[in-house]
Amino acid sequence: MKKERKKIRLQDISLRTDEPLVTVTLDDLMPLPPPLDLQEKKFPYSTLSENQKKGYECSLDGVSALALPKPKDKEEEEKLVERFLSGLRKLLSQNDNWLFCQPLIQSLEGCVRCQTCSDACPIYVSSGKQEIYRPTYKSEILRRLINRYVKKRHKFLSKLMGYDIELNWPTVARLAELAYRCSLCRRCAQQCPLGSDNGLIGRELRKLFSQEMGIAPKELHDSGTVQQLRVGASTGISSAAFQGMVEFMEDEIEEKWGRRIKIPIDKEESDILLIHNSGEFMSWIENPMAFAIIFEAAGLSWTLSSEIYGYEATNYGTWYDDVQFARIVIKQVEVARKLKVKKMVMGECGHAHKGLIVVADRILVDDLNFPRESFLPLLEDLILHGRLKLDPQKNNFPVVLHDPCNVVRLMGIVEPQRRILKEISPQFREMEPHGVENYCCGGGSGFAIMNSMNFRQWRENISSRMKLKQILEAFQDVMDPSIRKYVCAPCSNCKGAIRDILNTNELWEKHGIYYGGLVELVANAMVDMKRPFIEWEWR
Amino acid sequence: MGGLILFIFYGSILFFIIATAIRVRKFVNAPLHLHWEFYKGSSVYELIEWWTKKRSTFGEKLWSMFLDLLFLREFYHRNRRFWYPLYLFHLGLYLLILWHAWLFISAVVANVETASVFGWVWGTFATVLTFVGGAGILWMRMMDEELKVSYPPIHYIKWIFILLTLLGGIYAVDIHFKSSMPTLLKYVREQVTFANFEHKLHPAFGPALHIAFASAWLIYIPFSHVFQLFFRYYHYLRWDDVPNLRGSEIERRIKEHLELPVTWSAPHIQSGKRWREVASELK
Repeated sequence: MKKERKKIRLQDISLRTDEPLVTVTLDDLMPLPPPLDLQEKKFPYSTLSENQKKGYECSLDGVSALALPKPKDKEEEEKLVERFLSGLRKLLSQNDNWLFCQPLIQSLEGCVRCQTCSDACPIYVSSGKQEIYRPTYKSEILRRLINRYVKKRHKFLSKLMGYDIELNWPTVARLAELAYRCSLCRRCAQQCPLGSDNGLIGRELRKLFSQEMGIAPKELHDSGTVQQLRVGASTGISSAAFQGMVEFMEDEIEEKWGRRIKIPIDKEESDILLIHNSGEFMSWIENPMAFAIIFEAAGLSWTLSSEIYGYEATNYGTWYDDVQFARIVIKQVEVARKLKVKKMVMGECGHAHKGLIVVADRILVDDLNFPRESFLPLLEDLILHGRLKLDPQKNNFPVVLHDPCNVVRLMGIVEPQRRILKEISPQFREMEPHGVENYCCGGGSGFAIMNSMNFRQWRENISSRMKLKQILEAFQDVMDPSIRKYVCAPCSNCKGAIRDILNTNELWEKHGIYYGGLVELVANAMVDMKRPFIEWEWR
Repeated sequence: MGGLILFIFYGSILFFIIATAIRVRKFVNAPLHLHWEFYKGSSVYELIEWWTKKRSTFGEKLWSMFLDLLFLREFYHRNRRFWYPLYLFHLGLYLLILWHAWLFISAVVANVETASVFGWVWGTFATVLTFVGGAGILWMRMMDEELKVSYPPIHYIKWIFILLTLLGGIYAVDIHFKSSMPTLLKYVREQVTFANFEHKLHPAFGPALHIAFASAWLIYIPFSHVFQLFFRYYHYLRWDDVPNLRGSEIERRIKEHLELPVTWSAPHIQSGKRWREVASELK
């Protein structure tokens, strides 16, 4: 019999206990469709070791995304709480936080607590509706802390308005972790009838921790933005290594597909500077190779850059830190300006689309205000205008499209990828729901690269669970392993998250479900390739 | 007592005007925030060289806002169960606002002696609709587990106060003025034209109660959600695709913001410098 769950209140966030407020159990998890309905159930995540529990904060849900050390003594606790409060004041200040203060205040003040957003959240639903993952849980806590500690409402009024949450170290530590239990997919904001954006509130909370307290996941900060600013790419690829990779790509293309092409690097005054997520070069080099094959076949004037910052489209600052975000954007655009290209085009990286094309638009001024656009309209134009010779029968296998949140819901690029797939994939099908109503892959906002302690298990079993369900539902009629199936995910982070759930659940080995980008399918459909571009080898 | 009611009533009107003006000024002068919107469907970013393409006009946005407010379309699509009482309440409220406008105008311009029962039907219908919707919302807020989540005590009081206000209106019109439109319109004319100071200084219980309720709402409205709704559109929190073009007003405002000091104090940020300087550094 299912155990009755302990009711979690907002005030519990400040409980002084090392015990997690919530531990997600097997019974809580949202069921999956066949073939994973009969799978031996796995615990959503393992318990941290005694040493880990002793050293790090994990009293939210027993998971540690941040590896946040416990304060040594009461004095340190108090200092940290004071810094949190100072950051909270800055978040609400028009001068300190001119970048997001307006929508943040609108979101804090606009919520009518109708909870329409709750069922829109894949993490809340997948976890069996754990109160702490409800989109409004962290927002309501923040709202009440602001009213009690920043606006300093009268005690009686505070009680009447429910502003009765105590600000202490457990509150701060749990909020820090809670900011990383939301993938910022902003599906909740899309569903909110009043446009209140709990995703933004989560993002601003992350920012407070990073910009005021220096607290951020090491994968996003130290080995993310800091490394990118130091060496040019968050993957650590140097300019020389990048050039070596391009040579490798040229050789591979010739050897495997019989085409000798010269991939342009640092070609000044080209029409296009194509900029990829550098993770593609490390994990899915076929993606930049497909781009090169397509652009050369279409006769475009284009180039890659080997200048540091010029071969990396990512900007993890988008998810947690405005200062790091602005620093990276400026470096990236400077490369394009120096190359005198006509425009920058983003490859298959969702957050680079949103960050560099949209968010950065109100940071870049004068000659840094440089034209930037997505690869999708360009690719659609090439295909619909017959600039490439394509045979859709070469892609005659089931293909389902995943919509990266940053490209689709958060940018409104919905149809070009569909029109392309309808041209090149006879068995193209949709996930439900799709388009701007899509679900996050579970790896959004940095989750795909965060692997602290048991966080990866949490991601695979909770955060990505809804995407796993959608993929399985889309292929229910073709689950026979002899039928190869393709999840098309035109975003590097989404690919990473989808790779992990397919791999963990052995869906490639046992059911023939493969994954990759969009350009790989286009290259696969090209008529004059010596052999199919997609090799169906697990990566 | 009557003088106090009079003072509160005109004071609340003044307060409403001043508080609204301050709030509007604050919104209008707020810094330009970064693009962070989301979309209902295809946007201009689907087009090559999107920054040169036509975007939705202010008129289109205004029309969209009008339809959203009139029909509560977002609630209709996203939370149908809650929409039913919410819409009854809002429809009643809209009709009630229009009825008050009609009351003030026709009291002055029409022949009040021959006023038909139409005005009474309209006002009563609108009040009942608002009451039923409001009571439905309060009931759902008390009974529905989801709608109870994080709903602060003061909002329950607010809904009870709304229902009391409506009952106060019914009391004034149907008990005090005995459901007679000519009597009501005559009274309103006296008030609007300042023709009878005796009634102003010593109002009867029914009108006085209604005026006290109205005053309380005039004081509350500038701090309510209503304004958020309007300014959500003003600030383009959704579907904003106005690009920052070189030499534009947007660019000018951004340049101003880039001169603001960065005050955040984490180790990777050096407080005290300007945004323009900090963003150009390597950290």
